Amino acid sequence: MNAPDWRARAANQTRLAFGQALLELGARDSKTVVVSADTQDLLGIRPYIGKYRERFVEVGIAEQNAIGIAAGLATTGLHPFVCAYAPFITARSMEQVRNDVAYAHQRVVIGAAASGISLGVAGGTHHALEDLALMRSFPNMTVIVPADVDEAYQATLATQDIDGPVYMRLGGRVEEPPVSDPAQPFELGKAVTLRDGNDIAIIACGAMVELAIRASDELKKTGVAARVINLHTIKPLDRDTILKAAAETRRIVTAEEHHLTGGLGGTIAELLALEQPTRMRMVGMPDMFACIGPTTKVREKYGMSTQGIVAACRELL
Amino acid sequence: MAESKEALIARLRRQAKQVRRDVWRALRAGGSGHAGGSSSAADILTALYFHRMRIRPQEPEWPERDRFVLSKGHANAALGAVLAKAGFIDDEVLDRFYHFESPFGMHPDIKVPGVEMCTGALGHGLAIATGMALGARMQGKDFHTFVMLGDGELHEGSNWEAAMAAAHYRLANLTAIVDHNKIAQSGRVTELIDIDPLADKWRAFGWEVREIDGHDMPEVVDTLNALPFNAQRPTALIAHTVKGKGVSWAEDTYLWHSNNVNDETYERALGELGE
Repeated sequence: MNAPDWRARAANQTRLAFGQALLELGARDSKTVVVSADTQDLLGIRPYIGKYRERFVEVGIAEQNAIGIAAGLATTGLHPFVCAYAPFITARSMEQVRNDVAYAHQRVVIGAAASGISLGVAGGTHHALEDLALMRSFPNMTVIVPADVDEAYQATLATQDIDGPVYMRLGGRVEEPPVSDPAQPFELGKAVTLRDGNDIAIIACGAMVELAIRASDELKKTGVAARVINLHTIKPLDRDTILKAAAETRRIVTAEEHHLTGGLGGTIAELLALEQPTRMRMVGMPDMFACIGPTTKVREKYGMSTQGIVAACRELL
Repeated sequence: MAESKEALIARLRRQAKQVRRDVWRALRAGGSGHAGGSSSAADILTALYFHRMRIRPQEPEWPERDRFVLSKGHANAALGAVLAKAGFIDDEVLDRFYHFESPFGMHPDIKVPGVEMCTGALGHGLAIATGMALGARMQGKDFHTFVMLGDGELHEGSNWEAAMAAAHYRLANLTAIVDHNKIAQSGRVTELIDIDPLADKWRAFGWEVREIDGHDMPEVVDTLNALPFNAQRPTALIAHTVKGKGVSWAEDTYLWHSNNVNDETYERALGELGE
């Protein structure tokens, strides 16, 4: 398939880019298997199913079973991709992810759509604000948070080279505008610097990357040069890029659509506390359950906005 | 020369007795362990590994091998005994049960040759085995996947998710064996939460069901030889067994689900099992 086709179908949504990449992987690798937990449209996998029906497993609304079956498939040499809702596949089937996939070191890729508060109106039962903390706590696990469709597409293709489990955090039915350079190849574990600057560094992932760029542009108007780093791989962590940013800017602001406990901000704070104590502010969901509402409004309420990031930067400047 | 049926049964009975002896040997090495569920499973494990399953102990990753998943992973002493006897692992490993940095702990570890999955957190094995059976079909392989479940384990709802899926996909290359020893950690399974009528449940989920005496070696062998009973359905073998089978004071009691084993306990157990 030529590139514009998949990009049009992905419609600026990482969850759909994942499904489009599976179509490509189906063609590239006969060991590709897709497992759905009643998520065929959520991850846009109907084109894959149409073409590779014999390498598709629908398990229904049964996340524990999806992970267990994927682990079993992986032991036979196949490369399963589980398509699921982030809040359910991480919380309900966490034991299966830990034991059958991470501990057993199976090559299972979990595509987790509707992460963060992308299902804002669905309420706290359907928000996934702890998934990064859970997934990155497991040894062997690779944790990726694409910021846009190009990154999601390329990262999904890149999982072919990962000999172990992968958690890929994807968005919901909310537009994720392009922020990455499609010409730049995705490099696992290598953060991307999107704006230069030595006054402060904003390290963000997922939907917060776009807001971080806007915040940097806003700060630039007042003469502040804010570096913006897209940390698309939460684990393994790009220590060098983070430590370099801390050394050169001496001020770090993190931004994520996740609880402030244990996510992107947490992993950077752990690194900096040990290696290079640096003044920090963390933008993300405070220690409470989010209210119901449209995603953007809910994000703004808790500071996950351009203004929220700017304000966090100002506290350090 | 082909082994006669009589010789086969006599050999398997001898091997099963040795497996039980090795279970107690491992438990002595560990100082404690799951005597009850390891002993109830011993005859079936013996028939699987020394008669029914297509395996190559010297080539544990052989892609065509039959798969066995011990979902009730706390019976790992029995699995270890069988794997050692089959030649997957060294016999001396049995004397390092629970020891520091031993490959052989309370539950199976996939890093050990012959072990197909890390199990023992209950309710995982049936889904994994379903994935293996699907994997066989997708790759045009004819290996059979066996999974052994505890009866108390069937309280875990995840089993029934997998039971539905395996029947939906008509996995005749999958056999679930329920080691129905009637007792869990705290007491009798039916008193904790009733799982009866068990055969009806599996039938209702779309499985072909057979109830057998899990200690009657000819019946176990005949049943395993006859698999699958239905080319469109997975098979559930409900094996009626006795927890702690072979050692009178350990039989049919939750006290020997897991218990301490010292040299004296070991000698008394072996005295009952005989040579």
